[in-house]
Amino acid sequence: MGELAADKHVKYIISVEKKKDSFESVVMEHLRLNGAYWGLTTLDILGKLDAVDEEDVISWILKCQDESGGFAGNIGHDPHVLYTLSAVQVLALFDKVDILDADKVSNYIVGLQNEDGSFSGDIWGEVDTRFSYIAICCLSILQRLDKINVDKAVEYIVSCKNLDGGFGCTPGGESHAGQIFCCVGALAIAGALHHVDKDLLGWWLCERQVKSGGLNGRPEKLPDVCYSWWVLSSLIMIDRVHWINKDKLVKFILDCQDMENGGISDRPDDAVDVFHTYFGVAGLSLLEYPGLKPIDPAYALPVDVVNRIFFSKK
Amino acid sequence: MSTRENSYTEAEALNLLAQLERILDLDPLIDEVGFIHPSQFATLKEEIGDSLSLEDRVHESTSFWIRDHKLGISTQILIPVYKAAKHAFISALRQYKTPGNFSGKSQDDTLAIEVMIHSKALLLLSCDFATAWNSRKLIVSNKRLLPILMDELHLSALVLSYSPKSEQAWSHRRWVINMIARNCSTLQWIIERESELVEKIAERSKMNYRAWNHRCWLVSFMTREQVLDELKKSRNWSGLHVADNSCFHYRRRLMLRNLEGFCYTQDNNSSGYFVETYQIWKEELDWNESLIKQYVGREALWLHRRFLSMYLIKHMATHLLAVSCQSKPKASVDIDIDSLMDHELCLVHSCSTTIADANFEDFQAQAIHSAAYMLWLTKQIPEYQGIDIQEKLRAGVGDVTRMLKRSCPDRSSLWDYLVGYHSEP
Repeated sequence: MGELAADKHVKYIISVEKKKDSFESVVMEHLRLNGAYWGLTTLDILGKLDAVDEEDVISWILKCQDESGGFAGNIGHDPHVLYTLSAVQVLALFDKVDILDADKVSNYIVGLQNEDGSFSGDIWGEVDTRFSYIAICCLSILQRLDKINVDKAVEYIVSCKNLDGGFGCTPGGESHAGQIFCCVGALAIAGALHHVDKDLLGWWLCERQVKSGGLNGRPEKLPDVCYSWWVLSSLIMIDRVHWINKDKLVKFILDCQDMENGGISDRPDDAVDVFHTYFGVAGLSLLEYPGLKPIDPAYALPVDVVNRIFFSKK
Repeated sequence: MSTRENSYTEAEALNLLAQLERILDLDPLIDEVGFIHPSQFATLKEEIGDSLSLEDRVHESTSFWIRDHKLGISTQILIPVYKAAKHAFISALRQYKTPGNFSGKSQDDTLAIEVMIHSKALLLLSCDFATAWNSRKLIVSNKRLLPILMDELHLSALVLSYSPKSEQAWSHRRWVINMIARNCSTLQWIIERESELVEKIAERSKMNYRAWNHRCWLVSFMTREQVLDELKKSRNWSGLHVADNSCFHYRRRLMLRNLEGFCYTQDNNSSGYFVETYQIWKEELDWNESLIKQYVGREALWLHRRFLSMYLIKHMATHLLAVSCQSKPKASVDIDIDSLMDHELCLVHSCSTTIADANFEDFQAQAIHSAAYMLWLTKQIPEYQGIDIQEKLRAGVGDVTRMLKRSCPDRSSLWDYLVGYHSEP
């Protein structure tokens, strides 16, 4: 089996951080905060978070905060829960969550809960179970989960459960591994995993493994490294990870590396990007690949970061 | 990417932006945008649009190409034009939002127009630039006129022509439709058109989750007639795309929606409704079977069957009991669970005994899918349906397990678990 080219990946991430003028970087600038989360969490898993300037990162993040309390993807853009979660997660990596006015950020999120328990992504109203996960995860890290109607939030997520045991974006939406991760993660954090039919969902999830050992996100689709995270973390949360072949998955992820320039791609021999680099490394961490910090499947942050949030502050 | 993008001065970039905005203004019917490598522009040079002035043509031949409402943009200018568009947009938006500028209606309109023009150009270059979509929502929500809302649908469709997975473009459509639903009566017609748009996009962009999710979202706006109509209309397309799980999920959504309607109908017509619904289900099962036999080893077809059988047995059987107890049985439908199960078992056996040769991947897949389907059935049958069926299923399980573990060893733990579950008393 191949090896994880950890040093190359660290170099790759740092180079992406610096290369702000490439076309790819430029058209993604509205979601730079997500990129920061993917890049920095990967560095932390690889034990190299100190390779970046903490001050620089944090001061930039704070500039992304809008007066509503929410965060935008970059300075001057509109706020959205997607970036608000990334902001809080990145600050958690640096153990600096307390520089935030937790009430201000929480109020932004609380204001986005709808009557049926669902969450909108921003003031424009789009509803998606991803936003339910974001709200619950973010408020949990800020220790303000009691500010929303958790029962209603859970009720809405459960209403998005399909007959195959999976979950979609909204009620009646097709089951998708990414949405499933969000719903299962949200239910896990909210202490409501009993709503999940673990055998049924576990079955659907393990059917995502294809012959090459990689995982896809839905039936008949090609395998993609990012599903190594979403499918795997879901299986771990419902305690069914022994239903897939872990060794083959490790091999698949390692085959997706660019051994020369660093970075990981969606499948072998494709172009790399930070998004897939994060999911590949995070997936390997879940598979207990040696030399990596363990990562929490629900919070998608290193376990020591999560412990620091909940066990050292009271 | 070459570094020539960086050699454009600010003035040149602004000029390019002005050209782009001029083109968009001159031809509001543009319905497709593409990004062309500079080397391909040479071949297109001869085919310059004839609606443009001579001096424009000199510039446009290297950066823009337009014909038959199709717009091509050179990849070489993308970064400079993007930067110019972004700056223009942000500046216009800032002015629009500044409180002092709302003094007179005409001034307000001018600023709004600026934002709309620049945001449009920006979105063609960076279609998920949410702040730009939001600014349009802000301006449009002050107007709420149908033609303006339709324009937003048009822009979104233009973006989807080259970026069919753009989350922001789909989300913008839903926002617009919600606005229309509140104010206008043309909703049903718009829903129909939306459904057709998704099918068109799905043809080019297979199993596009966002597109199909949008189509599923539309179902909650549909009347029962529309739901049944959609089922009929989308059938042929589904039959030609048997590997597309999303289109079968859409059919399930429609069928469930139809069933929901039945649950709430407790009147004299309920048994007629029931018969019709049962027939739809039965037809779908028969059609699914013919596809399974024709297209060997297609996972999506078997997953669809799981749903159909399970629902038929679990829910429709219950309803038959309920209906016949309440009134004189008008229904001439006979749901015999035993014969249904027999039929399914026969189907599974016929698929398992086809050539299990390792070279024929499709046949092997067929055997695996049918075996997994059998396990699914054994899991779904409630106990009260009769010992006889359980016996038949259990008899088949032994062979199934052996075959599954041989062909699909990665899931051994799952097969063991599922089979072990059913050998418990």
